[in-house]
Amino acid sequence: MQLFINPAGELSIYRQIMRQITEAIAGGRLKPGDKLPSHRDLAEQIVVAPLTIKKAYDELESGGFIETQRGRGTFVAESAPRPDAVEAPAQLKAAARNLLAQAYLSGLGMREATAALRDAEREMANERRLREKESQ
Amino acid sequence: MKTVLEFDNIHRSYKVGTEVLAGITFRMGEGEVLGLLGRNGAGKSTLIRIAMGLLVPHQGSVRVFGTPPTVDPVAVRRRIGYVAEDQVLPPAATIAELIAFHKMLFAPKWDTTLEADLLDRFSLQRGEKIKNLSKGQARQVALLCALCHRPELLILDEPTGGLDPATRREFLEASIQLLNREGSAILFSSHHMGDVERLGGRIVLLDKGKVALDDDLDNLREGISIAFLPLAAGRQQALAAMSGCLRVREAAGELHAIFRGEPNAVAARLSQMNGGLPVRCGQAPLEELFVEMVGGRQ
Repeated sequence: MQLFINPAGELSIYRQIMRQITEAIAGGRLKPGDKLPSHRDLAEQIVVAPLTIKKAYDELESGGFIETQRGRGTFVAESAPRPDAVEAPAQLKAAARNLLAQAYLSGLGMREATAALRDAEREMANERRLREKESQ
Repeated sequence: MKTVLEFDNIHRSYKVGTEVLAGITFRMGEGEVLGLLGRNGAGKSTLIRIAMGLLVPHQGSVRVFGTPPTVDPVAVRRRIGYVAEDQVLPPAATIAELIAFHKMLFAPKWDTTLEADLLDRFSLQRGEKIKNLSKGQARQVALLCALCHRPELLILDEPTGGLDPATRREFLEASIQLLNREGSAILFSSHHMGDVERLGGRIVLLDKGKVALDDDLDNLREGISIAFLPLAAGRQQALAAMSGCLRVREAAGELHAIFRGEPNAVAARLSQMNGGLPVRCGQAPLEELFVEMVGGRQ
């Protein structure tokens, strides 16, 4: 698992870890049942305090993204968690505003933004297919 | 949680009438990681030297593992690993000789496996004389000597000051390995906010001889916001008088105000003051928070 941490980023480090793991799950780079490194191993890998990693894992676990099996380790959950009915649409809207602001800044509009979304969807579907082929 | 280090109302001055430390109180628990921050001259090293029993406070008391460090200095030092800001190692000695000396002081607690592991990690040659080492290598030797008796409390006074990013990272790696293996408490002072964020834990910010902030790093990152407002007559005082306001300062032709609370809530509280217009407000990385809290004129 590749994580990139930026201590000067706007998000605190444990949130950066959470976001990158949930994105990896959403993008198919981490599949249900995949084993995550122990929080101590990951701490040494990305040079971040073990307690910070543990906090990220605890939050991901209470969100239903990952599961800890005693004595065996931490795994990506078998069923994806139900998105938060209030938070999720609000976050999506915030991301959409960023996307539109980016488009307006580049002198583009709604049409180009929609096209970019479709492109991105196609790309992600392709990557998922390639990964599935690889794992067979 | 057992207390490993305890400062109670510490006062200390170097010149009569100017206190470097003007009433410092906080305690550190077992296994806790605490980053001591503050501007140059804020008293970080003074406080650390008081914890080590190298300086005596003019008022107040310090306890390390429950007793003042001056009562039985040897017993305390055996449980602490310490790297001073300006650590001087004997120049004519070889690394091997220095290690043998520390091994003798700390036997039987000395961990030879860790010693070999750190020599290897830092690419240090046992036969090398201290005077031939670079600044970074000398620091690494000092850290090795502070780590290999597996201290319950590690005290690092600006351990990575003046070191290049790669050497700093190796220092961090060794500290994190210590946390993983031993769960030791670490008190460290640093001006590298990125390193402080990576080590995490709790932050104590010293300013004007007092504790200006004392909180978990994540609470500081997520529970404190910076708001930017245009200058206006009396506004600085009005902001400073509001509940939750930690500091207001003028910078780059506008007002920067630090508030407890998350950005949306703070922006909502301030919007009325700004004639109902939205107020720019956000969370800040530690580096920005540091500058906003102790930088510039008040």
